[in-house]
Amino acid sequence: MSKHHLGEFEEIVMLTVAILADEAYGISIIEEMENRLDRKVSIGALQTVLRRLEKKGYLSSRFGEATKVRGGKRKRYFMLTAYGKKVLTEVKEQRLSLWNAIPQFSTSY
Amino acid sequence: MPHKKYPLPPRWVSKFFQWYCHPDYYEDIEGDLLERFESGLEEHGLKNARWNYIKDVVRLFRPGIIRSLEISSRINHYSMFKNYLKVGYRNILKHKGFSLINVTGLAIGIACCIIIMLYVQNELSYDRYHKNYNQTYRVLQTFRSAADPGSLPPPAPEEFQVWGCAPIGPALQADFPEIKSFFRFTSPVNLLFQYQNKKFQEDNMVFADSTAFKVFSWRLISGREETALTKPNSIVLTQNVAAKYFGKNDPLGKTITIDQTKSFVVTGVMEDVPHNSHFTFDGLISMTTAHNWRTEIFDWWGYVDFYTYFLVDEQANIAALAQRIPDFVKRHLPGWQDNTIAFEPLSDAYLYSVAARQPGAMGSLSNIYMFSSIAVFILIIACINFMNLSTARSMERAKEIGIRKSIGAHRHSLVVQFLLESILLSTISAILAVALVSIALPWVQELSAKTLDLSSLLSWKSVIAFMGGVFLIGLLAGSYPAWILAQVRSAQVLKGTFKSSSKGAALRKSLVIFQLSLSIALIAGTAIVFSQLDFIRSRDLGFTKEQMLVIDFGWDSGVQEQLNIIKAEFLRHPDVHSIAASRAVPGNFLPDAGTRIESPEGAMIMQSPGIYEIEPDFVPTYDMQMIAGRSFSANIPKDSTETLLLNEAAMRLYGYTDPSEIVGKKFSQWGRNGIVVGVVKDFNYKSLHTKVEPLALRFAPVGALRHLSLQVSPENITKTIA
Repeated sequence: MSKHHLGEFEEIVMLTVAILADEAYGISIIEEMENRLDRKVSIGALQTVLRRLEKKGYLSSRFGEATKVRGGKRKRYFMLTAYGKKVLTEVKEQRLSLWNAIPQFSTSY
Repeated sequence: MPHKKYPLPPRWVSKFFQWYCHPDYYEDIEGDLLERFESGLEEHGLKNARWNYIKDVVRLFRPGIIRSLEISSRINHYSMFKNYLKVGYRNILKHKGFSLINVTGLAIGIACCIIIMLYVQNELSYDRYHKNYNQTYRVLQTFRSAADPGSLPPPAPEEFQVWGCAPIGPALQADFPEIKSFFRFTSPVNLLFQYQNKKFQEDNMVFADSTAFKVFSWRLISGREETALTKPNSIVLTQNVAAKYFGKNDPLGKTITIDQTKSFVVTGVMEDVPHNSHFTFDGLISMTTAHNWRTEIFDWWGYVDFYTYFLVDEQANIAALAQRIPDFVKRHLPGWQDNTIAFEPLSDAYLYSVAARQPGAMGSLSNIYMFSSIAVFILIIACINFMNLSTARSMERAKEIGIRKSIGAHRHSLVVQFLLESILLSTISAILAVALVSIALPWVQELSAKTLDLSSLLSWKSVIAFMGGVFLIGLLAGSYPAWILAQVRSAQVLKGTFKSSSKGAALRKSLVIFQLSLSIALIAGTAIVFSQLDFIRSRDLGFTKEQMLVIDFGWDSGVQEQLNIIKAEFLRHPDVHSIAASRAVPGNFLPDAGTRIESPEGAMIMQSPGIYEIEPDFVPTYDMQMIAGRSFSANIPKDSTETLLLNEAAMRLYGYTDPSEIVGKKFSQWGRNGIVVGVVKDFNYKSLHTKVEPLALRFAPVGALRHLSLQVSPENITKTIA
């Protein structure tokens, strides 16, 4: 097992952050995941994972501008760090190598 | 959208979130929550949005989001508390002598309080173990007689007595459907019990109705509650007495020989009557036994030997019941215009009853109030002592305070520090106090003649109350020193110009004065109580009690037959001056007897003085003084059946003021008719707490004697006994 272990939910969150590029903050990530994966996600579940990933150094964050909606509270935008991108790529390659090793699937693929 | 005022999510939920959320994350997550709330508001309405908001906040309550303890501001307090405790602890160790005085002073105060609380709690717990405590009542009766029937005013509460007649119980139950059952028991009988070779005089056995275990919650260890006391000649023994005769064997069904002639069958063994009962006994003999022995007294309304208790059903209103008493009395006792009955709740029996002839010793309500206030005083004195000692030492702590202040301590944190220190001390004192109490308890029990048990205070309620009390004492005792010390000016201290303020000194002085006056009041109170006790011990009782040896032979018929030989034998001993036999001796239990004596006007008046049954030697042996007439004489045969002696109180009871006038008047008492031959000076035959009550001294019939009183020389009293 690689030293960069990613949980399934962590991987999905990181991918979604990558998809949303500059627009990845709490609510938009949840909405994107709901749309694409048809999966209910609570703010609590998401936020804990985001903070954990940030602590691990896979994500970084910055505050946006304050607006009149959201009670005047600023958004926190997340983005992948270079390290995060590397880990994500590694995970993808590991998966692919596993897929490629399956004999039956590979013929039909 | 921007200018419209939108409804907000529940405030308390937002507050809760703000409280637990990591401050770094708070702003954006709260923003996300609000954004969700706002969009939810448009899509699903307010109720739904609110509900979702609450759900989200609850789901956010997880380790990654909650503020961590390390950076919370509470942690700062925690380490300060640790520091305070450490400094407090070091201070205690540094001034060992001072701390010792302070802690032991407070500990003794708390220990006194605990002991007094134990005593008070014990007094208040009387009879409460009965399941039917609130539904049990007892019957009080009056036995007055007037020269002119119907002329007496309604009786005062003191004129009632608990001791009453037998037929009233069944009559009450028949007339009052609210009364579920009644229970009667007699005054103790004296019987000689024998089982195999074990032979004891039992003098605390009572005859009791079979409803004993229905009305009162005594626990039977063996035997059946319903039937144990139904058959004649059956007896229920208490555990202690049963063990005395049967050891470890099962007493059930065994036969005990009574007075060498009759026999009782043991039908049950019960737990000893709890010490917090207003009357106790060693065993219950079935009432049917008494019925067989003396059937006639169960119909006599004037024969007094029974205590009657009854149980009412839950809906019964005792006040309504009491209103029907006059009817009841009129129906059953048409001739008794001057007498009535009353009901008294069981809860009043031990502390509140004023009725005469109680079945057991009573408690004293004023004692409870007195002791409780003493407990409070002692605690106040201990607290003031503690405060003064702490403030007096403030000079030493001034430097520490100065430094603490100059590095930024708030006044309130200094107050907290000193309060904490005094709570620490009071906690140590409390632990010491509990240890002191457990050491002192045996002595206290001996002193108060009560069974006090520390475990009776061991319910969780009282433990919490105790800890709260200790905390409060700490706060109270620490409040003044903390306030004074926190006022110290750091600049003055550091410059070395600090002087303890004169204002503090004035308060301290007044506290000392207050403390001393409280102490003096307590000491004076103790002195008064002591002199009262001394009075009881040394007051002239009206008879010689010094060097009096009393032998209780318990109506042993063998002794009674040989009495003259035994007396002669004793008198041969050089140190025995005189000897007399009697049924009771001063201080003992004695019965009342209905006695008619000719009044100054010539009518025969009925009264019920107590009686002593004595031999002629009794009066000279006890050195009692005849103030009129003569005493019994062994040489006048008629004296044994046709004469009576009275005391002064009895003389006054029958309306005489001059003792010589009553001598020669006619009397009739318990089947005897004759004349009063003499009046004895009042002597204290009961207790100094009561005034001397009317007493008739009658010549003892054969077989009624129980005690031998010997007057002996004081010099070699121990040798004589040997």
